[in-house]
Amino acid sequence: MSNVQLAQLQEFIEHEAELLDEQRFDEWLELFADDGFYWVPARPGQESPLTHVSLFYDDKPTLKIRVERLKHPKIHSQTPRSKTVRVLSNFRMVPVADGSSEHCVTSKFVMLEDRPGVERRLFGGRYIHRIRAAADGLRIVSKRVDLTNCDQFFSSLTQPF
Amino acid sequence: MSKFSNEYLRGLVLEDRVHRSLYTDPEIFELEMERIFGRVWLYVGHQSQIPNPGDYFCTTIARQPMVLTRDRDGAVHVLFNRCGHRGSRVLNEECGNARIFTCMYHGWSFHPNGELAGVPMRRDFPAETLVDPQFGMVHLPRVESHRGFVFASLDPSVMPLRDYLGEAIRGIDELVDRAPAGEIELWAGCHRYEYRGNWKLQFENMADMYHPAAAHASTVGPDGRQFRRRSGGKGGDAPFFAENGEAIVAQTGVRGFRNGHSSEASLFREEQSGGVWDEYRALLVAKHGEERTRDILRNRRHSMTIFPSVDILIAQTSVRVIRPLAVDRTEVQVYPVKLKGAPPQISIDVVRFVNITHAAASFIQSDDLEAFERATQGFATSGTDWVLVARGLGNEIDEGSGVQFGDRSSEVGQRAQHYAWRDLMSAD
Repeated sequence: MSNVQLAQLQEFIEHEAELLDEQRFDEWLELFADDGFYWVPARPGQESPLTHVSLFYDDKPTLKIRVERLKHPKIHSQTPRSKTVRVLSNFRMVPVADGSSEHCVTSKFVMLEDRPGVERRLFGGRYIHRIRAAADGLRIVSKRVDLTNCDQFFSSLTQPF
Repeated sequence: MSKFSNEYLRGLVLEDRVHRSLYTDPEIFELEMERIFGRVWLYVGHQSQIPNPGDYFCTTIARQPMVLTRDRDGAVHVLFNRCGHRGSRVLNEECGNARIFTCMYHGWSFHPNGELAGVPMRRDFPAETLVDPQFGMVHLPRVESHRGFVFASLDPSVMPLRDYLGEAIRGIDELVDRAPAGEIELWAGCHRYEYRGNWKLQFENMADMYHPAAAHASTVGPDGRQFRRRSGGKGGDAPFFAENGEAIVAQTGVRGFRNGHSSEASLFREEQSGGVWDEYRALLVAKHGEERTRDILRNRRHSMTIFPSVDILIAQTSVRVIRPLAVDRTEVQVYPVKLKGAPPQISIDVVRFVNITHAAASFIQSDDLEAFERATQGFATSGTDWVLVARGLGNEIDEGSGVQFGDRSSEVGQRAQHYAWRDLMSAD
């Protein structure tokens, strides 16, 4: 893979992070392929979202419900809303099968979440994006988020990582 | 000796209201650990979590580290997770398998049945000391099970488990009977959430059919239906509002039981069906016949809440364990259940749906957690000391055997919890 391609993918992933920080959830949803999914495992090295619980495991229809709820005026767990900021780094290409139209990129992130009346929260871990080059642009086939504290107890989680 | 008189404690729970100090006073919390958690049956774990000899599962009950083990003969034990020598916690992983359990501090080791197995440089100890069972890993005074659900009590004189559960035992049976093999398994790990608030907030919530229209408003789509929360072509989702504009859930009944248990009636009217559900149903029919199958799959209970430690979620096919940490801190675990003998897809669907109903990031639970924390903030106000649980008071139907039914989201379940609290807390 050439550096140009990695640069494009990095820009795409940073754009995705920006949409989340700005709570532009509809636009975020649009980045996912129709067969795409968003997954945050609940245990380190989790192999499957089907045989173990996950913090998030949303196919696109479920992600759409999540986004609708995040925009709902009566979402009490977001009254008032959170503010988040993500810092991404260490982008790496992961080889995929020859001839595949997909790319796999890992990166590291740290995310701060602030919500009035709630103690500041800090999350961090690794993103693994599988991204497909479609006719109308790049689409997320899967986004896996491996949090360093994925097997701990959490207070309410509303913001996708 | 408590600084509170029994009369004072009784006065904190009236027929229709409870005092806010139940949720805020650290000394009341300490007394609860002694008089409630120290005296009743508490859920420890499920036998499916320790299927093989040497398997162990570490947990905490009444704030004390415990371990559920299976010995080489297959017998199940509940031990205090503490070395008989100088008191260190012995097992430090949540679960695993070991022939012997070795303490990291001085290397004492124990059999899974709690007996002392090995002592480095043994002959330097007085020989008579080491045969005393209290220097092994000590057993909980009482351990009993029902259909794989293991309960223990810190009180040697506690009533038998069956008597404690009473009619609430039917909630466990309703869940387990749905497994064609007649057994369930906790197979897919658990969700873990926590909140800044008292443990009773979670208990009240599990008997609360009144709150969804307000608290979970953000889960109802523009079509007036809630998102699909269980699988099956039919019977998986339900309209949220009745024709008169009331939330259907709030028209649903609740039961309160002796000893503080409670149960919400099912939200669902129809049997789940379509696709893999038809295959699953055929397995039940082959085993039990049509009539019994219809009875098993009849949507009776949404959940059965067993005071003060566990909630059997029947509609969501899972088990929720509640752990008080402090007066204003609580941890909760939610385990999806595998119905053994059912097609694998049934259990996979349960895992997927519990992710969106009862996880920290789920559509439902996140707003309940917000409600618990706002209640805790509200309890700090001094304008009134009383928290109301009066809904449906006086309209209960006595169904016998210690069961009170209240329709239209009666607060009869919360009252049952608080009356049990009052009776336990005001007894020496």
